[in-house]
Amino acid sequence: MTKPTKPFSPQNLILLLLTLFSLFGCNEKKKDASKKIAVVISTLNNPWFVVLGESAAERARELGYEATIFDSQNNTSKEAEHFENLIAAGYSAVLFNPTDSEGSVSNVKRAKRAGVPVFCMDREVNSLDVATSQIISDSFSGCVALGEYFVRQLNKKGKYVELLGLVGDNNTWNRSKGFHSVVDLFPDLKMVSQQSADFDRSKAMEVLESIMQSNPDLNAVFCGNDAMAMGAYQALVAAGKEKDVMVFGFDGADDVMNAIADKKIKATVMQSPKKMARTAAELADEYIKGKRDFSKKTPLAVSLVTQENIKEFGDYDSRN
Amino acid sequence: MKQVIKYIVFALLIGLSLYNAVYFESLDDHKRGQNKGVFDVKTLAIDFMASKTETLPAINASEFLVNIADDITGYCKNNGKKLGISDNYNFIIEGNATVATIEDENILLVLNDDKEQHIRIATDFIFGNAIRDASAIADIGDFQNTMDFNSISVELNNIVRETVVPLLKQKVEEDDELYFKGAVEVNTKHPDLQHLKVIPLIIKFKK
Repeated sequence: MTKPTKPFSPQNLILLLLTLFSLFGCNEKKKDASKKIAVVISTLNNPWFVVLGESAAERARELGYEATIFDSQNNTSKEAEHFENLIAAGYSAVLFNPTDSEGSVSNVKRAKRAGVPVFCMDREVNSLDVATSQIISDSFSGCVALGEYFVRQLNKKGKYVELLGLVGDNNTWNRSKGFHSVVDLFPDLKMVSQQSADFDRSKAMEVLESIMQSNPDLNAVFCGNDAMAMGAYQALVAAGKEKDVMVFGFDGADDVMNAIADKKIKATVMQSPKKMARTAAELADEYIKGKRDFSKKTPLAVSLVTQENIKEFGDYDSRN
Repeated sequence: MKQVIKYIVFALLIGLSLYNAVYFESLDDHKRGQNKGVFDVKTLAIDFMASKTETLPAINASEFLVNIADDITGYCKNNGKKLGISDNYNFIIEGNATVATIEDENILLVLNDDKEQHIRIATDFIFGNAIRDASAIADIGDFQNTMDFNSISVELNNIVRETVVPLLKQKVEEDDELYFKGAVEVNTKHPDLQHLKVIPLIIKFKK
């Protein structure tokens, strides 16, 4: 005898439909979430970082992701807020330019705990365990090359000033140490002042103006980035000393590249924010697709750009 | 009587807690403890220069020059060592040579294997990462702070500048025959093969 089949009660049918809808609804949301990449940048007040952020977002979009840029305004609390929001919003990966090598570690840690991989760009965080990979400029080697050029341009003697970047950033010290690993071996090169101008153009101008009051006979200024080099150059123009004092920068920013071509600034070190950002986006894509074995740090070589070889370069190594 | 016992017990308790709260150790032990786990770059560089350079695998200088002139990109990719994303490749090379000219910053050598081949040994401006990267003495991925990794190059170059170069400069004369082993960097994007500069690790005069 066959068992009579029970007609499906309307209540059960509603329950079944609700379950199915909620299940499919969740899946759809997850699918959307897996297509989002966050680009967190230390500051968008500096054109170099704008290029870094936009290139990262552009490459992420090319790879099929929705990309959003967050500006930390050089503030670790703001950066922490961004990390909280992007974790809650279900981003799949973060392309991250840290504000502070130490201060940013906790943010990366939080993302890691939430299962969100972080790929650092340009600046490193002082931890090997938290970021999935760190793509950094080989600032030290760049400044060794710049240091050698500096020594030769000054014929191994003279007075100079060093304008440092943000003191909490490892790049500041890698650049400074690379430069000093060369220049300090020449005893007739005297550093009359070393001050931070926070990688900022106007601050660099103010700082150099004040230094020049007590040191009017400078021969050169070494700046930890191009924004400060432009600020230093402006201060020299205002003092009518732009032809007597050599200015050296670091980055390969558009205005400094033009200034080198016009023989106003002596040299810079070309970093490639575009290449760095694209590499980070590609690594994030590989992670999302299942790869887990990444090298902890990948340095990206930089090039010395001088008035003699400027023709071989575009701004921010745009040939890449 | 009870009062006395109470005081003794009280004093014992105070003594016990003080004993556990204060530790004495020599200043040297304390400093050693503080530096435990801190990367000691000087020791690493000194050990390397004192005991690793003799056994470090090296490419014959003459073969090296022939191969990079023939196919610089292919040869560098297959045989050179580089750091991260870069066009700079590093090699350890060795050879027997005759001193042709003593220049301000270099010594120009003629290789004994082929008298048409020249190479320079640097005696000034000893900088860069050629030794560190060509010898693979350390892996950047092991360093929390890249500054520590970079300081390896600084220390290695310091040793070359302070020990290898002064002996070389003191002894060298034109037409001297010598054996050399050193590190050299080649850039594949902007190659300058006529001015390759070897940072010397070992120099032995044949007199």
